[in-house]
Amino acid sequence: MSEHSDPRLAREALREKIIGLGETSLHKSYYPELQSRLAELERFRALLDQTYDAIFLIQAKGGRVVDFNATAQRYLGYSREELLSRSFEDLVCPEQRSDFLDYARRRHRSPAESGETYRVSLLTRDGRDIPMEVAFRSVTFGDDRYIVAIARDITERIRIERDLRIKESAFESSINGILIADLERAVTYANPSFAEMFGYSGPEALRGMNLESFFVDPSVAEEIVRDLLQNRPVILEVEGLRRDESSFHIEVSGSAVQNETGQPFCIMLIVMDITERIRLDNLKRESYAQLGKNIEQFAVIGDHIRNPLQVIVGCAEMIDDPLAEKILEQAGLIDRFIAELDRGWVESANVRNFLRKHGEDVELPERRPIGLSRLMDEDT
Amino acid sequence: MNHRNRLELRKFVAPEFVCGQGALDLAGRYAHNLGMRHLLLVTDPGVRAVGWAEAVGESLTEAGVSFTIYDSVSPNPRAGEVMAGAEVYWSEGCNGIVAVGGGSPMDCAKGIGIVSVSGRDILSFEGVDRVPLPPPPLICVPTTAGTSADISQFAIIGDEEGRRKVAIISKALVPDVSLLDPEPLTTMPRDLTVDSGIDALTHAIEAYVSNASSPITDLHALESIRLTSKAMPAVLENPDDLNLRFSTLLASLHAGLAFSNASVGAVHAMAHALGGVYDLAHGRCNALLLEYVIEANYEAASIRYDRIGAILGQGQDEWMSPAGVVAAFRRSLGISGTLSTLGVTRDMIPALAERAYVDPCLATNPRDLSREEIEEIYERAL
Repeated sequence: MSEHSDPRLAREALREKIIGLGETSLHKSYYPELQSRLAELERFRALLDQTYDAIFLIQAKGGRVVDFNATAQRYLGYSREELLSRSFEDLVCPEQRSDFLDYARRRHRSPAESGETYRVSLLTRDGRDIPMEVAFRSVTFGDDRYIVAIARDITERIRIERDLRIKESAFESSINGILIADLERAVTYANPSFAEMFGYSGPEALRGMNLESFFVDPSVAEEIVRDLLQNRPVILEVEGLRRDESSFHIEVSGSAVQNETGQPFCIMLIVMDITERIRLDNLKRESYAQLGKNIEQFAVIGDHIRNPLQVIVGCAEMIDDPLAEKILEQAGLIDRFIAELDRGWVESANVRNFLRKHGEDVELPERRPIGLSRLMDEDT
Repeated sequence: MNHRNRLELRKFVAPEFVCGQGALDLAGRYAHNLGMRHLLLVTDPGVRAVGWAEAVGESLTEAGVSFTIYDSVSPNPRAGEVMAGAEVYWSEGCNGIVAVGGGSPMDCAKGIGIVSVSGRDILSFEGVDRVPLPPPPLICVPTTAGTSADISQFAIIGDEEGRRKVAIISKALVPDVSLLDPEPLTTMPRDLTVDSGIDALTHAIEAYVSNASSPITDLHALESIRLTSKAMPAVLENPDDLNLRFSTLLASLHAGLAFSNASVGAVHAMAHALGGVYDLAHGRCNALLLEYVIEANYEAASIRYDRIGAILGQGQDEWMSPAGVVAAFRRSLGISGTLSTLGVTRDMIPALAERAYVDPCLATNPRDLSREEIEEIYERAL
């Protein structure tokens, strides 16, 4: 009535409706609503048909498949009639059927908890097995009880899990310490080598610890994370801190692990105990230094011998004595010995250069070899 | 005088109905065939007390249909009772309704049906054609002969807060099946027999003079008046006579078919206002208003009123106006008094007239009545 301001017009409009001539003055009919609900159901059905999961509606009593979505048909390759004539048990691969029936009986006695799933391989029409993870739920329509089975193909997941197990095994058996931490530097994983290296009872003891706990200088942890998050490579030698607070030398290399959008979500560090290597390096360095010192001393001795030898040669040349020749001869021998020492020096210099080139620098004094002939030449 | 064009469009909607002794026993079969698995059996304490709800329940059980009884229905059903019934409907997982009783349980059942599919407050459906979704299947088993709620497109619900009666009118409210069994009528007390009989007569008279009447509704209206005029006085003498009870039931059925399609008029508009404010028996209000509304409307439908008078006054020696015939008829049934004796006071008349003026039933009254004219009718009936 409020549609019209004129009460007479309003009353006339009302009268039309009461007579049954209004737009919606219809005898009760469920058909329009039924059509609308059917359209809704068809839309929902289309939605179900597009899921990656195979969905089965199973009669609780007898286990017969009474409905399923298109994905179920796509996975298994049966025709609609073939699926409707089977029980769900028929779809389970023969080797697992007995276990499945045990599971079904258990579930019948005590319904599955929310989220519980069961792994079983379903048999395709052409005889292949598809590993599936199935969630079973009990539903009631009217007086009938049904089981809804939502099955997901886990072939790819099983492959990934196998790959992961291999990688995990590699991690676990690595002699290098491997540590994974989140971006807040909390440890999420450490392999047994890492735990052993740092004096912990096992990897689990490290979970949740802060990365700082493993370095004598705690700021190292922050630097490592910062560098990794800025995509800078990290390879450094630092002092590690064991659980008993003793320190040791470690080499740390790392990388940031990125998600599918390229955003880092954790960091991984590989840690080597380089205590022994450092000790050997120091030992080598000391040996080379000693060697250099020795060679230098030889050179100094050579020079020291040459000076009196030069005097002896000078004196022998000046005297007229049959022994002078003999003296000169012996002096020559001594000079050759010293020359040999000089050659040794040159070879030592080459070794030095080699070491220098390869980072093992040994300081040797510069030396210009001086031969007796040069001594004699200088006299003349 | 209103002039009707015979070629004007008219519609006639009726439910499937079964009438005769034992019709009640078909409740189970119909419930089953309509797909009901668990239904709400709406009734009232009085009907339960005399065993008719249980009799229907047995039929349902025999047919394998389970049910939950909802009997928190008072005379003049209230919105709160409708909403509470809908809660029971949902909580019990019902998918259909069977109403056993008079107008109150049947109107309440209609309201529950509306709410059960929409979830909205029943009062929001007030008016005509405002029920967008078809309610669940409804089977009615009337235990009175007068309201014709088992046939009609009307549901009258009391708004407790507003102290008014709300008319919900929609073809979607016409029940699916009515099982008209005369036997339950035998347990009606005399007053209820009279009130419901007068209610049926008022339906028939108002439908016959309605500006929405049609040749088809006229047939039913006149037949209803004929049946009532003969059967009502007789049934009061022989309340256990099934044939007479059946005649009153048929009178109610014909009246229902007539008024559900031609609608009613000022008597009902004014009775709804009275019922809302004073919570009075609907049939009694109709009885005390009818002759005064006839007087007010007479010029607009004199030929029709005269025909009514002729049917009701058959056998009378002296000529009386239709209003006089109707007054004499109700007095012959033992309905005396005025609105005052029901507790209506003069100071309430403007408010009552205001409510009656906006009642949708007034749209099909043969004459356009103003508020003042309605007030005058109340005054005269006081």
